[in-house]
Amino acid sequence: MNAHVTPNSPGPVSLTIVPPFARFSLRIAAASVEAASKAFGLELPVKIGQGQAKDGRAAWCLGPDEWLLHAVETETVQIMEAFARFRPETPHSLTLISDREITIAMEGARAAELLSVACPIDLARIHPGMAKRTVFDSAQVVLLRDGPDHFRLEVWRSFFPHVHELLQIANRELASGY
Amino acid sequence: MTSFRVKDRGRVKADRPVRFSFDGVAYEGCEGDTVASALLANGVHLMGRGFKYHRPRGPVTAGSEEPNALIGTSRGVGRFEPNTRATVQEIYQGLTTESQNKWPSLKFDVGAINDRLYMLFSAGFYYKTFMWPRSFWDKVYEPFIRRAAGLGKAPVDVDPDHYASRYLYCDVLIVGAGPSGLAAALAAAQTGVNVVVVDEHAEMGGSLLSEPSVGINGKAAWDWLEATLDELGRLPNVRLMTRTTAIGYYHQNMIALCQKLTDHLAELPTDAPRERMWRVRAKQVVLGQGAIERPLVFDGNDRPGVMLASAAQTYLNRYGVKVGNRPVILTSHDSAWYAAFDLADAGAKVGAIVDTRNDIQAALMQQAKARGIETLTGHTATATSGRLRVKSVRVNPVRGGRVGKARTIDCDALLMSGGWTPSLHLFSHTKGSLHWDAEENVYLPGQQTEECHIAGAGRGLWGIAAVLEDGVKAGTAAVRALGHSCDAVRFDVSDDRTGNGVTHKELATDRSPGRAKAFIDFQNDVTAKDIRLAVREGMRSIEHVKRYTTNGMATDQGKMSNMNGLMIASDALQKEAPQVGLTTFRPPYTPTTFGTFAGYHKGSHFELTRKTPIDSWAEEHGAAFEPVALWRRAWYFPKAGETMHMAVSRECKATRESIGIFDASTLGKIEVSGPDAVEFMNRMYTNPWTKLAPGRCRYGLLLGEDGFIRDDGVIGRMRDDLFHVTTTTGGAARVLNMMEDYLQTEWPDLKVWLTSTTEEWATIALNGPNARKLLAPLVEGVDISADAFPHMSVAECTVAGFSSRLFRISFTGELGFEVNVPARHGRALWKKLMQAGRQYDICPYGTETMHVLRAEKGYIIIGQDTDGTVTPQDAGIGWAIGKAKPDFVGKRSLSRPDIVARDRKHLVGLLTDDPKIVLEEGAQIVTDPNQPLPMKMIGHVTSSYWSEALGRSIAMALVAGGHEKMDQTLYIPMPGHTVAAKVTGTVFYDPAGERLKVE
Repeated sequence: MNAHVTPNSPGPVSLTIVPPFARFSLRIAAASVEAASKAFGLELPVKIGQGQAKDGRAAWCLGPDEWLLHAVETETVQIMEAFARFRPETPHSLTLISDREITIAMEGARAAELLSVACPIDLARIHPGMAKRTVFDSAQVVLLRDGPDHFRLEVWRSFFPHVHELLQIANRELASGY
Repeated sequence: MTSFRVKDRGRVKADRPVRFSFDGVAYEGCEGDTVASALLANGVHLMGRGFKYHRPRGPVTAGSEEPNALIGTSRGVGRFEPNTRATVQEIYQGLTTESQNKWPSLKFDVGAINDRLYMLFSAGFYYKTFMWPRSFWDKVYEPFIRRAAGLGKAPVDVDPDHYASRYLYCDVLIVGAGPSGLAAALAAAQTGVNVVVVDEHAEMGGSLLSEPSVGINGKAAWDWLEATLDELGRLPNVRLMTRTTAIGYYHQNMIALCQKLTDHLAELPTDAPRERMWRVRAKQVVLGQGAIERPLVFDGNDRPGVMLASAAQTYLNRYGVKVGNRPVILTSHDSAWYAAFDLADAGAKVGAIVDTRNDIQAALMQQAKARGIETLTGHTATATSGRLRVKSVRVNPVRGGRVGKARTIDCDALLMSGGWTPSLHLFSHTKGSLHWDAEENVYLPGQQTEECHIAGAGRGLWGIAAVLEDGVKAGTAAVRALGHSCDAVRFDVSDDRTGNGVTHKELATDRSPGRAKAFIDFQNDVTAKDIRLAVREGMRSIEHVKRYTTNGMATDQGKMSNMNGLMIASDALQKEAPQVGLTTFRPPYTPTTFGTFAGYHKGSHFELTRKTPIDSWAEEHGAAFEPVALWRRAWYFPKAGETMHMAVSRECKATRESIGIFDASTLGKIEVSGPDAVEFMNRMYTNPWTKLAPGRCRYGLLLGEDGFIRDDGVIGRMRDDLFHVTTTTGGAARVLNMMEDYLQTEWPDLKVWLTSTTEEWATIALNGPNARKLLAPLVEGVDISADAFPHMSVAECTVAGFSSRLFRISFTGELGFEVNVPARHGRALWKKLMQAGRQYDICPYGTETMHVLRAEKGYIIIGQDTDGTVTPQDAGIGWAIGKAKPDFVGKRSLSRPDIVARDRKHLVGLLTDDPKIVLEEGAQIVTDPNQPLPMKMIGHVTSSYWSEALGRSIAMALVAGGHEKMDQTLYIPMPGHTVAAKVTGTVFYDPAGERLKVE
């Protein structure tokens, strides 16, 4: 998931649009999570908000029976087949949502400050590796924290221009020093 | 020009002059001055005109509570602001200011005639004066009142400034950086918790800025202040914010702050916001808001030069400005005596200290005597003189309740103090209860509802030592509540100016109180007489007195007038103050710009607009757009010279004759997945789903528990355990929420999961007799011939190389397909289809054509042909109900007597007698156009269009008992004429559905 730098975002925080990758919404009973871990090849975290990543695959627990999965796009079909194989005995729902969202990566010492412009949650409580479904300027987003100064925002496609525009406005505002 | 600047006093930078203008005259002030302090330094007291009587006015305070010195400020196009408080606005090089509410000039104002006519303008005068004749209200009275109401000019240009917002979490938020706030900060900060200290002023220190003579811990007040701010500023866990007003205190310790960032700068930095709204969630809050001095109420207490004694002290000690050379002090509180001493020490000749009290501390009397200041105790003030500036005050002794002989004392400033009112505004926002202190005649904070601590003068304490100690107490309590303990912080205070005082209703007078212009609310021009009149005319609660007199209803929210108004009302009613009440304080604490509230929501960022992946193509091809829910959708695609009517007719014709292409991406999509998916669908939708085979789809109808139609859409069964549900564009979120609600609360046992896929797919609809011809060569993985892929089929395949979910469905009555591809490919697929469709003259169409084509077929639009009170039977789609199903949402309601009643409004077709007339949607329908008014309306037109295919107008309507009125003629009365129309079925075009069967 190599981020490429998009121009037109002057400011202390680098804002980049992440190229397409495979993204799934997994819904499965918490009791059956082991089967899902096996199919995905990654041990799924079981505490809400927590994430896990290895070998190009990543998973975050977003709700009591909900996980967000990321993988390399070329592995999409392979992953769907792996899940389909155990669906008969372990019911679940794996929905491909690669195109539903656009992901914005932000990096910089002031990234959290930039998010605080329109994200109402206490970002200090989202530790690196965690994820949370929240809002940014009234648009629903999933916020992933990759490091102290590194976040990703997953935004529904049609809300992306609105969210991205405000990030750019606010990034310029940060640059102004006021 | 006389300078009233006092050398070696004040905190302004005397060596840094700042030029600005007021009413076109250039003035010089110093860096650190406000407009008010700089004008006063130039001997200018006259800064405005009163609202109602247009009396000359000068600043009465030195802070944000200022009711009089309201000015207009400007710095170029769009940057004009009316009603700026001169006592708050800092000066910068080139600042342009002007006075308000005057014509032709501030010194000579024609509107001042109102002052002579003041008897006409008593409380409630609008209601009394403008009653008759009734016909005058709209044309004469109301426009007059509206013009007269409100100070200043409303800005007319677009505001070019940028406004920002931020969320902030902290452990302890301290509001007010006076001695109590700073002491709280010192106590709290040492524990390492996150502390935020805000203050509305340009610099922190509060009352310490006006009281340099006090000593704290062996240091002069200002040295201690500097050291303290330096210490706090260096702590990583402390954030100090100046020019930041806590404007509102909301639930669960959410505090709104307005931070002014650039209004004090000569040059506006690029991209810097003018103001920023902070939404702070604090675990603990310390309110150190202090107290506001009360004016005394007596005839002529509003002349320029009459001001609060504490303000004069602030102008002297903080800004180095003497407000007059011959001030007279008029007071009922010890604090004003110190103002007199400071002014005398700065070289002013204090005319007298007039105190309403008989017994004064001996120490004060001695200090006055030492300075040669005459003291008049047990006195009242009964008048002042001076038109544009106070010239004298008339004082009388009061002995045994009798007002004695008057004496006039010359003065150029009259400094009053009627005691102090603790600032309860933010505490009051929390709806915490207030406690009436009958001894001091003040309200104090009572029972708390939030995690907050009130410290210092804000809870009635007086003296620097007392408030410092109280601040430590509050700060300690705050961190203790967070589970921390902190070391005791102690202060050793010297030269503290403690004291006390009394409060009054209007001061006693030997003249007619009815003729006294004794002001309570300076901004709204309310006098003591108005309050008494309101009581005489039947107002019993302070809330009624307030509304009748407008006392406290100006932008200062009665910071200085509420308590005086209450004292007088309670006297007039002969009731204790708490029985008369206290008006409610509401956010914002001080006037706040709309910009601060709007934040980033302006221009292109004003409101979120959702666009489809194909939107850019539509825009490039000249589409007209319409908003649908949050989306904008292509409405029609006009060619050069085409009207909307022409474009829509062309699009309809092209689609029916060959092929039309339509962006249906906004349709809501929900993936219903799991072994119990079919059971869930059976329970949610009216239709039966069990026998629907994978690869087939069906029209689904969703009701509410009340049996009324909520949503509809075509639903495909992808697998035994997977449905692809579509919803209306506007209903997507609502339907998903409704489904989740049932799933989580009613049927948690069902193994089924819901995922929104609206934005995963771009959806392109192809309709028309050539649809298959166009599509077939592009499809791989499924045979879409008529037999292999009949109407209401769905398959996974590829279309033009893109993985796809392909539906054969129709919302037009023509052969139709809907191609879903991953959203990122939507535009590419559209272009390929346009390219491939050239041979068939493919025609892109918008939502208007979609509406016409579906209306010709009688297909309903949720929210247009239904309004939340329409049942499936009413809408003529009872066939969509699975009669054999044991249950579904809304089933039970469908058998209620009123739901099965025969006279319910039914959806019917309407054909106008004159085929050229297109009815107006929303028009009312009657049976007899000749009946007397008001006519009995039996329904309304829901959909109405020109049908190009039929060469006439068509309409649908909800009509009472409509299904039994077939072939009857009904009437639609319109302005000037009445339209006759015949009731028909709703399917106007191809009722047999032959056109779907294209081979």
